[in-house]
Amino acid sequence: MKKYWFIIKTEIMSNLQYRFDVIFGFVSYFILLFILFNLWRYLYSDTSGLINGYSMSQMMWYVVMTEILWMTLGGRKFNTKICNDVKTGNITYNINKPYSYIGYSLSMHLGDILVKGVLYVLIGMLIGFIFLGHFPSLSIIEIIVVIIASLLATIISIFIIMALGLISFFIEDATPFYWVYSKLILILGTIFPIEYFPTVLQKVLNFSPIYVVSYGPAKLFVDFSWDKAITIIGAQLIYLVITYGICKLIYQKGVKRISVNGG
Amino acid sequence: MAVIEVKGLSKTFKVKLKDKGFKGSLKAMVKPKYKTVNAVRDISFTVDKGEIIAFIGPNGAGKSTTIKMMTSILFPDKGSIKILDFDPKKDRKKLSYEIGTVFGQKEQLWTHLTPYDNFKFFGAIYDIPEKAVEKKIDELKMLFELDEFINTPVRNLSLGQRIRCEIVASLIHNPKILFLDEPTIGLDPVVKENIRSLIKRMNKEYKTTIFLTSHDVGDIEKLCKRVIIINNGQIVLDDSMDNLKYHYLNKKIVEAKMKERVNLDDEDGITILKDKGYNLKIEVDTTKRSVADAIKLLNPDNIIDINISNIPLEDIISSIYQNKDQL
Repeated sequence: MKKYWFIIKTEIMSNLQYRFDVIFGFVSYFILLFILFNLWRYLYSDTSGLINGYSMSQMMWYVVMTEILWMTLGGRKFNTKICNDVKTGNITYNINKPYSYIGYSLSMHLGDILVKGVLYVLIGMLIGFIFLGHFPSLSIIEIIVVIIASLLATIISIFIIMALGLISFFIEDATPFYWVYSKLILILGTIFPIEYFPTVLQKVLNFSPIYVVSYGPAKLFVDFSWDKAITIIGAQLIYLVITYGICKLIYQKGVKRISVNGG
Repeated sequence: MAVIEVKGLSKTFKVKLKDKGFKGSLKAMVKPKYKTVNAVRDISFTVDKGEIIAFIGPNGAGKSTTIKMMTSILFPDKGSIKILDFDPKKDRKKLSYEIGTVFGQKEQLWTHLTPYDNFKFFGAIYDIPEKAVEKKIDELKMLFELDEFINTPVRNLSLGQRIRCEIVASLIHNPKILFLDEPTIGLDPVVKENIRSLIKRMNKEYKTTIFLTSHDVGDIEKLCKRVIIINNGQIVLDDSMDNLKYHYLNKKIVEAKMKERVNLDDEDGITILKDKGYNLKIEVDTTKRSVADAIKLLNPDNIIDINISNIPLEDIISSIYQNKDQL
């Protein structure tokens, strides 16, 4: 484990000098929140009313949270990196090193996004506070649970995107898989909570990755209960094992195919 | 003591075939056709501890495939490999602690970080205690003369400086065998020479066995005592550098500038390489004919200028690439 922590630390060091992309990210984050906040203001003509169990401020904080998770993730960059690692054969140079490629890529990406994540949290909270004048009422221990759920959500997302990238072992261009995934998350996972969708779709979404990577942490942030916390973190742990297992399986099958591509 | 033992190693690849044009692409999608390529065919060799061995061959000869099988990147189809008593196929992780690899065309350093931070990173990857890493960095810093730029980000280093750091990074965990794949590619002659002498020094200091591939004859000539030449997946020569040179040193190139035209034909032991009337270039096989004999044929009184030289190693190797029967 120590070596993976070192990879995270090294990647943070390596990235501290290049933060222009973060600044551009902040601008689009701000614009997005601004548009959505205005949309909710329009929908909630009666600001004290509830729609599908959410008040206007809960909806706004929900979006702040899901967008923090999504913007921090930097999924496209990570997916492109994994696809390129496979396509260019770079992945082979990791095979004879004493670490696992999955652990290495996960640590690298966590190191890449950790500082960015902290900045997004600060900015998201600031924007939310300016617009709404208050924070969701959470105790310290509840905040810690939300942070844990957010970290788990990020790690699961990284595994999913890694698995989508590792498909490059088998087909020429695996980027469309990520494109579809990102659009699904955007439509079904970031703007509206699951309760906003038709009952049939809700049942599907409750078992989908959206529940653990996006809805879960945001729901806990705006409407915390210990029951939900246990269900959500439980589901996340199951997803963590499954997504890691899938990555490992694809990687092991794929690495054997490298021999087909030759030296 | 042999640290590398390769026996009857073979590897084939299936390569997809496609007819030309759009129709061909469609056909390949529905019913793909494959061709089998024998990348490595039944090769065997051993390498002793502390040896610097050149493993050379033209592009596509099977060098890379062999190295990748030895470093557990590819699985062989047939045959066995033993690296320090490990089987690369089964003991991948254990083996990785014992070997180092440098690929001249592939960066393994983090370009935004300084060499020092990179070395610390590699130390952590190989589970080396922090103090031991620092000691090793100090030691290698002296040996490879890195003092000037050890705290400059890698992206700001020259290619020669970067290669030196790449080699040091691969030595942090004290590997017993170092695989160097074209370490001097793209370097200017002075830097090349410098890298070579550093590799030699390292081999002497740590007794590291070095398995080198290169297209640069200078690397091979200056560093290696033994050379294995591979072509079309088979070993065509496995001999000491001295023997290789000795065999070909029997042949001399005589270049002469003449006062008058000489009409000379190929004879036993003499091959005419170039004949421009007043300028002649001939190859003399000294096992059949002495150089003095050849000069007599030219008529010494007729010679304005003469130059007698050995066949360059580069030519020797390319002739072996082209036709192993010439040996």
